[in-house]
Amino acid sequence: MHYLLPFFKWCDSTWLGETIRSSRIYFPVIETFHLLALTVLFGAVIVLNLRLCRLIMKHQPVQQLAKDLSPWALWSLVVILVSGVLLFLSEAMKCYASKPFQVKMMFLFAALIFHFSIHWKVTRADRDPGILSGVFVGGVNFLLWFGVGLGGRAIGFL
Amino acid sequence: MSGAPAIIQWMQNSDIGTGIRESIWLFPIVEATHVLALAFSVGVLVWFDLRLMGWGMKHQPISQVHKQMMPLAFVGFVVMFITGVLLFWSEAEKCYLSGFFRAKVVFLVLAGLNAGFFELSTKKTIEDWDKYPIPPVKARMAGLVSIISWTAVIIAGRATAYNLF
Repeated sequence: MHYLLPFFKWCDSTWLGETIRSSRIYFPVIETFHLLALTVLFGAVIVLNLRLCRLIMKHQPVQQLAKDLSPWALWSLVVILVSGVLLFLSEAMKCYASKPFQVKMMFLFAALIFHFSIHWKVTRADRDPGILSGVFVGGVNFLLWFGVGLGGRAIGFL
Repeated sequence: MSGAPAIIQWMQNSDIGTGIRESIWLFPIVEATHVLALAFSVGVLVWFDLRLMGWGMKHQPISQVHKQMMPLAFVGFVVMFITGVLLFWSEAEKCYLSGFFRAKVVFLVLAGLNAGFFELSTKKTIEDWDKYPIPPVKARMAGLVSIISWTAVIIAGRATAYNLF
């Protein structure tokens, strides 16, 4: 991945990155927002995917549930991405050397692509998906997002 | 040396406490479970709270949301509680002496009392609320107190780990 090294070095040296690093308070505060927004988004991910697997809210149409969850979930995603970029800028060189960070980013890109393509299409269709496609799409979506979460937690430990 | 009572020091120095604290894998695994179970506990609960306040999931009948989602949140809380006790056990002195941890316990108790009052009293007329777009004031209050206290629990919990002050 050495071709990315200049990019990581540049991120690490940005004004924002240096400002966050220079304070003991900024990083924990930003990380708390990251965690609070994660709680809301992952709650929605769990509810919608369990519905796709027909384990909860069976009598509610998938489309209506997806629309009801959307506004708060999307705003949470915005908070997560913005706070995540700030956290990254403040320790870009640590992330460069971190295997869990690489894994997390792969899960994140996969989760975003899957979420806004196949998952979005299935949950916004006028008719509820069949049980097999529901379990498949719900299961994959759940695993991708939890891969992101686990990878993120591992950055702090490994 | 420290101001913690004997039982706290005993917990910290017990085989369980020392074992979790000094294990390369155990502490991270318990901690990661504690954090990710947030999604199943508070993450699911917060959607019911938003529904209670009339701020979200407006097209879902409130009694259904409660019936379908609360068992899930309850399982989440059991996982949170067990992993939380284990984490406390391994760092009992640090937690006991931390102002943030004490605040966390206070807000946990507040959240528990609020949920208990809701389940035992407020909830009795929940079937009627399905007919209204926005639930009655006492239900909205229960949702608001729940969201505020759980947000405070998460903030205080995160701050305990950072040992900020």
